[in-house]
Amino acid sequence: MSLPESMSRVVIVGSRAHLDKAIEALYESEILHLVDYTNGSDDGFFIGRPLKGSQEASERLLRIRAAEKELGLKASAEDPFPVKDIRAQISAGKVDEIEKEVFAVADERNNLVQRISDLEAIHRNLSLLSRLPLDMELYSGYDSVKVFIGTFKTDPTEALSGLENAEVFTDVRKSEAPVAAVFVKASDSDKASAILSDHRYSEIPVPEGSGPPGLMAEKVAAEIADLNARLEEIGRNMAEFSEKHGAFLAASDEELSIQVEKGEIPLRIATSDYSFVIDGWVPSVQVESAKAELEAKLEGTAYVEFQETRGRKQHESDEAEPRFKTAPSKMKNGEMAAKFEYPTKLVSTPKYNELDPSILMAVFLPFFFGFMVGDAAYALPFIILGLYGIKNAKSQEFRAIGTVLFFGGIWAFIFGFFFFGEMLGMHFIAPDEFDALTVNWQDLLGIASYPDWFVSIIPGGHGVGKLVDVTFLLKVSVYMGIVHLFIAYAIGFYNSYIQHGLKEAMQHNGGWLFILVGLVMVCYAMTEVLFYSKAIEGVLLYTLLAGVILLLIGAVIAWPVEKAQVIMEMPGIVGNILSYTRLAAIGMSKAGMALAFNYMSIIMIGSGGDIVSYIAGFLIFLIGHLMIWVLAILSAGLHALRLQFVEAMNKFFVGGGDEYAPLMVKRKNTKIVETEV
Amino acid sequence: MELGLIAIGAGLAVGITGLASGWAEKDVGAAAVGAMTEDPSLFGKGMILMVLPETIVIFGLVVAILLIFVTGASV
Repeated sequence: MSLPESMSRVVIVGSRAHLDKAIEALYESEILHLVDYTNGSDDGFFIGRPLKGSQEASERLLRIRAAEKELGLKASAEDPFPVKDIRAQISAGKVDEIEKEVFAVADERNNLVQRISDLEAIHRNLSLLSRLPLDMELYSGYDSVKVFIGTFKTDPTEALSGLENAEVFTDVRKSEAPVAAVFVKASDSDKASAILSDHRYSEIPVPEGSGPPGLMAEKVAAEIADLNARLEEIGRNMAEFSEKHGAFLAASDEELSIQVEKGEIPLRIATSDYSFVIDGWVPSVQVESAKAELEAKLEGTAYVEFQETRGRKQHESDEAEPRFKTAPSKMKNGEMAAKFEYPTKLVSTPKYNELDPSILMAVFLPFFFGFMVGDAAYALPFIILGLYGIKNAKSQEFRAIGTVLFFGGIWAFIFGFFFFGEMLGMHFIAPDEFDALTVNWQDLLGIASYPDWFVSIIPGGHGVGKLVDVTFLLKVSVYMGIVHLFIAYAIGFYNSYIQHGLKEAMQHNGGWLFILVGLVMVCYAMTEVLFYSKAIEGVLLYTLLAGVILLLIGAVIAWPVEKAQVIMEMPGIVGNILSYTRLAAIGMSKAGMALAFNYMSIIMIGSGGDIVSYIAGFLIFLIGHLMIWVLAILSAGLHALRLQFVEAMNKFFVGGGDEYAPLMVKRKNTKIVETEV
Repeated sequence: MELGLIAIGAGLAVGITGLASGWAEKDVGAAAVGAMTEDPSLFGKGMILMVLPETIVIFGLVVAILLIFVTGASV
């Protein structure tokens, strides 16, 4: 269990003429967590202006991103480009050249796409019109005649017969909407329009042209085909283009992003007319080396001064200037526990002055997971899958899941083999008495007897039965819960102690520790008395008395701060402890399902029937266990996480820390070649 | 007869608490998913809130297990 690394604040002061050099040096040393300057903190100092060239770089970057988007690029360079080459090419205007080419092609493509979509609409209209026996020129050019051409829901011919001199051409088909051209006197157009709208008239825009619409539609179709061919050609050109320039674009994107980021650093620091001041945090152990390194790089153009080492007491943070209040948290864990920092961060980054719960996570998360799964056979795929995830997963999430599965799988194997003594829901060793719940490997495989050493490593000679030793398992889970909660309260006490001192720690957290222990003793005594009808005497009486005394002591200590909360929260603690019974309950539910599937398949296979029942029995066995295994990831994984997050971490973890993020750049598509530095 | 009643009791214990958990989780879950679409880093907090009501059904399950295997075994 460790606190985040101790942090010290340093200030770098120099002449403004050398600001770009200072920023470069800071990025190279990769150690300073910058503190943003706020205007008005010091007289005569203001937020700076971006470095020269930054504006230009960000405009270029914008254009490159647009070009990349046009090309649909997400490529990264296979071989990183040397930074020197990229810079030279950018300043020689290669980016602008490529971009011009890309946009020229992209513009043509966009125009083509637009033209094709227009032509397709015209083609649709022409094919509708071709259903009528009229040539194109007949639809327009009248003074005293109004023409309505469109599709309808129902045939309007009959309704229009009342209009004088109305001429109607229709084409009615079963599967398609009727098409009609209606010619009426211009003076009747309002009436006609009313009738048509009753028949759900929807106008067809008539394209300009002459001759039969069918012929025209064919011409349009030919044009569309030509344009599509050109579009394909352009697509091929662009693909070639991406291949040729993709890597370069990705590399320039990266280089320019870095330039922009560095160029905007002055916006986060204080500058006066002739000087600059940079405040930041560095890990305390590295202060001296960082100072030496920076001063060497700056060659006397700026000075680095140590300001303070931030302690863990809360008042130190409270009394600091607002922008120096929170020191960043750099989680300090060994290689193993570091793998479990991800689940901690899912909740929040630890504060600078509180214990980082990653180690607690590393111990209990796989342990609980393993206890709930508790089966030697289910464990193996977890171990393999976890190992695969750790080795091959690229994203942090999947690596974290892989880690939990791997260690969880190991615990599941240990519990499954050495505690429950079972595999696929069946015990290795047959129990002494035979009943329905005793499908087991020994009887199944007809093993007469196991070697003595094998029987001796499995508890009770045949392992703990998930559905037999129910009370025992529930008790074990409650005990695990008590230990887990005790650790959680103890961490809370320690956090309070380092932040506020002993008195406050006692009042805020110490009282609860007493209450927890007292409650456990009282509850133990009460269960013995109520459930097992034991008399209150001897050890039981002392336990009860001691429990009550501890409860009272705890309540008295916590009362000044917590007031009536003390009494109201007590049932909550019992609830928290009982919540750990899920460890046993989930194991049991899985065992219950496994039992059912095993029973079904063994009856089917063992019935001595035909091949069909063999196959069905085997399938039930396979699918059933696969289902239990998949459910195990969800239920055991989520519940293990929940016990950490809710029951334990709620007791001590505040979070909301500021993660230590030193100024640095990660290059993927570009590289710095030694000779140019 | 008694065994039958125990089985019914166990069924009710899991069934009703299951409904209750589901009812409580539906609101929390919907809100949590909504919050997560806005800010994926809220996953941890969302999950904590989401799984809070599920203790209800776990208690139901424990009661059912006790009924069947402890009380049931003594009948």
